Amino acid sequence: MLSDLKDKRALVTGAAQGLGRAIAELFVERGARVVLTDIDGDLLDKTVADLGTAAHGVVADVTSEAQVSSSVTAAVDHLGGLDIAVNNAGIEIGKPLVEQTEDEFDRLMSINVKGVFLGIKHETPAMIASGGGNIVNMSSVAGLGGVPLLGTYCASKAAVLRLTETAAVELRAHGVRVNAVCPSFINTDMVARLVNPFEGATGAKFDDLVAVKQQRLGTPEEVAETVAFLASDDARFVTGAHFTLDGGLTGSLF
Amino acid sequence: MTERTPVLKDKIAIVTGGAKGLGAAVAAELASEGARVVVTDLDQGGAAKTAEGLDGAESAVCDVRDDAAVAALVQDVVSRHGRLDVMVANAGIATVSPVSEMSIEEWRSVLAVNLDGVFSSVRYAGRAMAAAGGGSIITMASITGFAGSPLIAHYAAAKAGVISLTQTAAVELRPHGVRVNAICPGFIGTDLVTERAHLFEQGLGLDDFGAVINAAQGRLGEVGDVAPLAAFLASERSRFCTGSSFVVDGGMSASLV
Repeated sequence: MLSDLKDKRALVTGAAQGLGRAIAELFVERGARVVLTDIDGDLLDKTVADLGTAAHGVVADVTSEAQVSSSVTAAVDHLGGLDIAVNNAGIEIGKPLVEQTEDEFDRLMSINVKGVFLGIKHETPAMIASGGGNIVNMSSVAGLGGVPLLGTYCASKAAVLRLTETAAVELRAHGVRVNAVCPSFINTDMVARLVNPFEGATGAKFDDLVAVKQQRLGTPEEVAETVAFLASDDARFVTGAHFTLDGGLTGSLF
Repeated sequence: MTERTPVLKDKIAIVTGGAKGLGAAVAAELASEGARVVVTDLDQGGAAKTAEGLDGAESAVCDVRDDAAVAALVQDVVSRHGRLDVMVANAGIATVSPVSEMSIEEWRSVLAVNLDGVFSSVRYAGRAMAAAGGGSIITMASITGFAGSPLIAHYAAAKAGVISLTQTAAVELRPHGVRVNAICPGFIGTDLVTERAHLFEQGLGLDDFGAVINAAQGRLGEVGDVAPLAAFLASERSRFCTGSSFVVDGGMSASLV
């Protein structure tokens, strides 16, 4: 079966809501057992309860090396090994670059870039000990080009792509694949928060921008399908790649 | 929990260049996911042989260089099956020559199959699918479409053209429910690659082209490494993917060195 994840042992960060939750849900549906991590313990508890017995929650802040390390250890203890990790946790800032503060920049980079770095660093030994595995990092089409109001977010997602590519080449001999996913605007709370800033900055209706560039908003389930394919053995020769799902946004100049 | 519902159940698919190599593997993968595959090739016997082993498959001869032949193929499939859901524009050829020694005939012979053939396939499949309300077109590009590729300038230029054609067709056909995506394999162990290894060794002054590929990709790819991606892109699971290129290369293009 395509994108089969039967009996796979997976870790998903930032999984209490949005894309992370959709990824964890689809993984469970495809037969995986999943450890979900998030910084928001209450929301995480609720999500894990919704997902049933194949899901297990661990509260962790991806900006803390100690917490990333201990969450991977907890996942390995719970699952009996680690085959798949999805480094999904991320935040956005929707402001012109010159209005963003140093603290905002540092916080975003810490979550979106350092969080992925720490994930790769600590997930990899667990996968090698499990006989190989693969990592999927959440990038974005914002990692492929500039987007007004998302300057630091764009930089962070481009950094995720470079981390992905280098890790893929370094870890290939160890049987660990590393790939990224680049979604465009998806129907999540993160994108909903961007509507007002975008309309204020561009003078255009956000719905019109979406319609002309990508026809419609993508869905979290669609992102999860691409992650599931990459995480499955069907993608066994795919590493260092980024799979885009954007309704045609990056395919067109205008 | 997991259901074994084939993701392409009863979809009607055409695979060009399906007699052997990647095309044959893609045809088999689509069939295993429930599609009824029309395997086409310039090599009629080869296409028939691929189709023989596959549930619900049939074969047809088609020279993708012949625009009218591609039109007739699509029309025939639509008239007999009622629609076309999936087109895999896979047919491709290669020769090995440095640009300075490549004749215009050699250049044109590769462009005729690898770019013109894809154009015709996209054009007629896109038209038929748009009329029926949707479908998925998959073009076989290559990572050679992204960067310089010594001794195969014509091949690489055609593949870059395929990537561009894929993008434009995707945006034009989007309102009609037709998606268009490209697969970009690295070096796969098909006849197209293995029969030409010695020519790369001669032309590039290498002892062992296979060792160079292993260093760049970890190993030579297999057709079975690529085929599941075609099934994913053909299926509804990739319904928000269009105009994109999907690399399957063991990490070759991810690394600068």
